[in-house]
Amino acid sequence: MNPVRVAIAVARKDLKSEWRTRELVPALAQFVVLALLIGNFGFQVDTRNASAIAPGILWFALVFAGLVAFGRTFAAEREQASLEAMLMTPASPVAIFAGKAMAATVLLVLCEVVLLPALTLFFGTPLGADVVAAVLLATVGMAALGVLFAAIVARVRARELLLPLLTLPLWIPFIVAGGQAVQSAMGLPGSYQEAMGLLLDFDILFVVLTSLAARFVLDE
Amino acid sequence: MSFVVANGLTHWFGRDLVLEGVDLVVDTGEHMAVLGDNGAGKTTLLRILATALRPTAGRLQIAGLDAFREKRRLRHHVGYLAHAPGLYPALSAVENLEFFCDLQEVSRTRVEEALDVVGMTSAAHRRADQLSRGMQQRLAIARAILHEPRLLVLDEPDASLGEDAAELLTRVTQGKTVIMATHDRALANRLCPRTLELRHGRSHGTATRLHVVT
Amino acid sequence: MSRHERWAAVAVGLMVVAGAAIFLYAPTDYLQGPVQRIFYLHVSSAIAAYGCFTVVLIGGLVYLRRESLVADRFARAGAVVGVVFTTVTLVMGMLWAKPIWGTYWTWDARLTSTLVLWMIYAGYLLVRRLADPGRQAARIAAVVGIFGFVDVPVVHFSVTWWRTQHPGPVVVNDALPPEMLATFLLTMACTLVLAAVLIAIRYRIETLSDERMHLAEEVKVITAPEPRMAP
Repeated sequence: MNPVRVAIAVARKDLKSEWRTRELVPALAQFVVLALLIGNFGFQVDTRNASAIAPGILWFALVFAGLVAFGRTFAAEREQASLEAMLMTPASPVAIFAGKAMAATVLLVLCEVVLLPALTLFFGTPLGADVVAAVLLATVGMAALGVLFAAIVARVRARELLLPLLTLPLWIPFIVAGGQAVQSAMGLPGSYQEAMGLLLDFDILFVVLTSLAARFVLDE
Repeated sequence: MSFVVANGLTHWFGRDLVLEGVDLVVDTGEHMAVLGDNGAGKTTLLRILATALRPTAGRLQIAGLDAFREKRRLRHHVGYLAHAPGLYPALSAVENLEFFCDLQEVSRTRVEEALDVVGMTSAAHRRADQLSRGMQQRLAIARAILHEPRLLVLDEPDASLGEDAAELLTRVTQGKTVIMATHDRALANRLCPRTLELRHGRSHGTATRLHVVT
Repeated sequence: MSRHERWAAVAVGLMVVAGAAIFLYAPTDYLQGPVQRIFYLHVSSAIAAYGCFTVVLIGGLVYLRRESLVADRFARAGAVVGVVFTTVTLVMGMLWAKPIWGTYWTWDARLTSTLVLWMIYAGYLLVRRLADPGRQAARIAAVVGIFGFVDVPVVHFSVTWWRTQHPGPVVVNDALPPEMLATFLLTMACTLVLAAVLIAIRYRIETLSDERMHLAEEVKVITAPEPRMAP
């Protein structure tokens, strides 16, 4: 059984389903714009403090969008009882997990395509390749963790409550390093290189760990 | 030759005892029906037999292999139809089946064949959420037979199927070892020479009827 | 007296001894004053908490490997006792911080990671309560426990690094004079004994609870579950 092909088949299926229904991405896009709005008024942003506060608002918007997006990956399967059908095949659970994580990453990246320009539009923050790179690097690790924990809570009561509770503590390192990376990319003090190095380390650590854990979580 | 041998299958959901010490033996090529009211434990028993659920206690052997240890290997030989169809609503019937072909590394030619067996060739390209419940059920059955398994575990396969349910199921179960749960005793009579009665999680014995062709 | 009661009596006795050492034997700190005495229990509590979570980690790993119910029970016991000790650590830390730094809280690596620790294992306990008891709960919890255990040092490290970018209040750790060191080691030893006893007691409770779930005197089939008691 070729796990790579299985993973790609699963990712394609998820993305195809999303493309046909166009439910999640437009909703997420709207959601992040609203989050920026709330950030603007919650933090009383004006032209003086915009560049200092905007990077933080980015992370709030991203975290909430992520929780919604990753929660959906398994909620939909659960609704349709199709997860069990998938798991009943000889396909490796790690491959299925990888496929779902890849699809969820793509969906979140699409949401970021709206978020970053919107951030620039509303708060005047610079939008360079370094900002994009930082956000993308953080997304990878956050997606791996988000999808694993979404799988964990998929069959538990009160999953909408549990998902943030379990996932956010694990996202903190990404927000600390990612926040610093984005800030320094936007011209504030701090080392971009070091932050990106940390993000990469965290990505590797958590992608490996989640892959190892997938078979215990996804097996019946 | 015994294809499925189950011993003392017991399952607790928390504090509820759902199955208690169920034994059963199914020979190769045999068709067995599991009968019982709602809540008797049929679905739980079938899930265990399909290797979808690990019982709290008991032993299970399929094709001579320990079903719990060789789960992944056995799934090549087991086709399971769950209570809920478990289809992807936004994908067409063909796409649904193609996806499962990819997951199981089965040639995509099987898609056409399976659709033909269940009589769905005309609706092949319709989205799954636009199919009637009967069609969805057929599609789910097609998925269960896609990889040509030797053992079919079917949970109420006749649900939502129309008049030709018996005919369709006879075609589908031809030459395979079958365990199916159903409420319809007449259907069970027609398709399965052996029946197992389940009441409140306990087996009330198996019976073999003379196979009467109607 | 049952053996658990005996152990409990010993543990409490030892804590009284430690208390005596803290207040009567250890000298008053020159810089921080009497408030500094919190340190003995605060740090011991933290170490006990980490010890408990190591038990959760090992229990989880063994469970995933061998599906051993015993390992799972230790993990459950460790999580409950660990959350208690973490709470104590946090509260004592805050009581200490106010007179020393003038604020109850500061976002330094230790406080932050201790808070995260608390959140992770509170989440662990919640997951156990909400998942279907048995294999599902045990597996899920094992994974949560393992990730939690890895996360805490990662968070600690991230915040330490972050502090190099955003310097904050500096915690001065002088070398401890011998009497203080002795008091600390004694308190730590007594606290660890207390933690072990608490885990043993909790283990027994989990064993009894397990037995109640899987072995019923009369076989009652498909009944509504009784309301569960708080852990």
